[in-house]
Amino acid sequence: MRKAAIFAGIAAALLGVGALLFPPPAEARISLEKCTLCHGKTEFRKILVDGKIRELFATADSLKGSVHEKKTCVDCHFDVSDIPHRERPRRVTCTHCHYKGNAEGAPQSDASLAYFESVHGTAIARGNVKAPLCQDCHGSHQILKTKNESSAVSQRNVAETCGRCHIEIYAQYKMSIHGVAMAKGIKEAPSCTGCHGEHMIYSPKDPKSTVYATHIAAQCSKCHGSISIMSKFGIETEQVATYKESFHGVANQFGSRTVANCSSCHGTHEIRPAADPLSSVNPANVPKTCGKCHPGANPNFAVGKMHIDAKKKEAGIVYYVASFFKYLTIGTMLVLIAHILLDMYGRTKRLRGEK
Amino acid sequence: METQSPGPVYVIRMSLMFRIQHILLIFTLLVLAVTGFALMYHENWLGQALIRFEGGVLFRGFLHRAAAVFLMAQMIFHAYYMVFSGEGKRELGEVMLRGQDFADFLQAIRFNLGSVTEYPKFGKYGYKEKFQYWGATTGILLISITGVSLWAETFSMKFLPKVFLDLALIVHGYQGLFAFLILLLWHVYNEHLHPSVFPMNNAWLTGKVKAEWLRQEHPLEYEKLKQEGVL
Repeated sequence: MRKAAIFAGIAAALLGVGALLFPPPAEARISLEKCTLCHGKTEFRKILVDGKIRELFATADSLKGSVHEKKTCVDCHFDVSDIPHRERPRRVTCTHCHYKGNAEGAPQSDASLAYFESVHGTAIARGNVKAPLCQDCHGSHQILKTKNESSAVSQRNVAETCGRCHIEIYAQYKMSIHGVAMAKGIKEAPSCTGCHGEHMIYSPKDPKSTVYATHIAAQCSKCHGSISIMSKFGIETEQVATYKESFHGVANQFGSRTVANCSSCHGTHEIRPAADPLSSVNPANVPKTCGKCHPGANPNFAVGKMHIDAKKKEAGIVYYVASFFKYLTIGTMLVLIAHILLDMYGRTKRLRGEK
Repeated sequence: METQSPGPVYVIRMSLMFRIQHILLIFTLLVLAVTGFALMYHENWLGQALIRFEGGVLFRGFLHRAAAVFLMAQMIFHAYYMVFSGEGKRELGEVMLRGQDFADFLQAIRFNLGSVTEYPKFGKYGYKEKFQYWGATTGILLISITGVSLWAETFSMKFLPKVFLDLALIVHGYQGLFAFLILLLWHVYNEHLHPSVFPMNNAWLTGKVKAEWLRQEHPLEYEKLKQEGVL
């Protein structure tokens, strides 16, 4: 009996200490209850000066299923202390938790830090209020892991997410061969981030950009130079090698920014197969496409194959002429050397005869 | 036969006019070779180093075309000089290919192989000099055609199928290599390593050769000069 009482006492004491050390999220509950007093009403919204409506509805369910399921309002909206808010609560700063070595265990990598250097991050820093913060792409309450198909930044959804601001480009992309392939569920097809990168997006005019004039060929060849990817779709990988060997390719490799790269001819967001009448490399459009750099280009520009490799038999006459010259040169050199040796031998004989 | 003279007797083989043309040609062909092979072999380190040395891929192109224009100008001047000047006319007569040159060539081979006992007697220019001269002339004409058609790429593409430009590029490059190697090998042998001139035939600088050399290598010219009383 006494033993049991002591045991119960110790247990109670331990529980008490435990309760002190690990309090239940009472504060969180309180905060949530307080917040939902107003934010729990479905009609709670604000009409902004430009006539847009900002929905302010948020409940305990808002975070359900997201990566922040266990968080509560003030974990992110930490500047909110007074109710009603004396000042308009500031936009959420993700780096409050997402910094290297944070105690919360929030994921953090250098990749996302690259955002601050990117065209978006620097635009924010310059005070452009339209430039996106983390939550503009990743979502606010319903943030899901990128690998989750429903995530706003999943491979399938990211184009639409970017398209919320880049509307025209999104429309072009959607109709392009890459956009159509993506819509068909082809995993290898590139979305915006496939070419532009994720956090480290720069203006195409910035030499750091993955789509800078001298980087385009390398960026396209990540997929178009890979036999394992291209063979699935019956697309040649020759184009990369033949481009590199061409005048355009050589000048590009040595840093010319004005010479044609892949996108100069094939387009950027609106890339379509050559058979498509809307394609910039469709024979009907070739004069216009080439004419961008070669004024006066006419339909004759479309005659013949553009990408050829003189070292391969597929190049036809070019290959055979190249081979002919190779053997002609080697043959002539051998004949010349033979003649020289013979001539030296003959000359010694001749001089000996003279004596 | 002849009395021993105190020093070797020299005769003019290349006039100042031809020496200047020759030196300009060396310079131009070297620039064309160095800028051209840099592009042709852009994949290896030497080509890449040359492109950097030539001020980048675009300035390399400019240098190559500037040298090409200079070369074509020299060709035109040379043709004019050979056809209209007194000295040119004489030289053109000397260097003109004749049936005899091919016979000489065959005879020289036969002599070297030991099937005939007489080595052919050459005039001022033997088959070696003549083949080299006409080979280089035709080569420069042909390489100019492909070169200009590649330079005026927009113009060419308007009338010719793209495969013509692909061919022109291949032919231009390989022809350049072909000509360069022949010139190099032929000069190295005939003007440097040939026992009669080793280490170098100085005629391209001084214009003069030894009369004795002429007697051995170009006996007909030697006889002619003797008859004319030059020697």
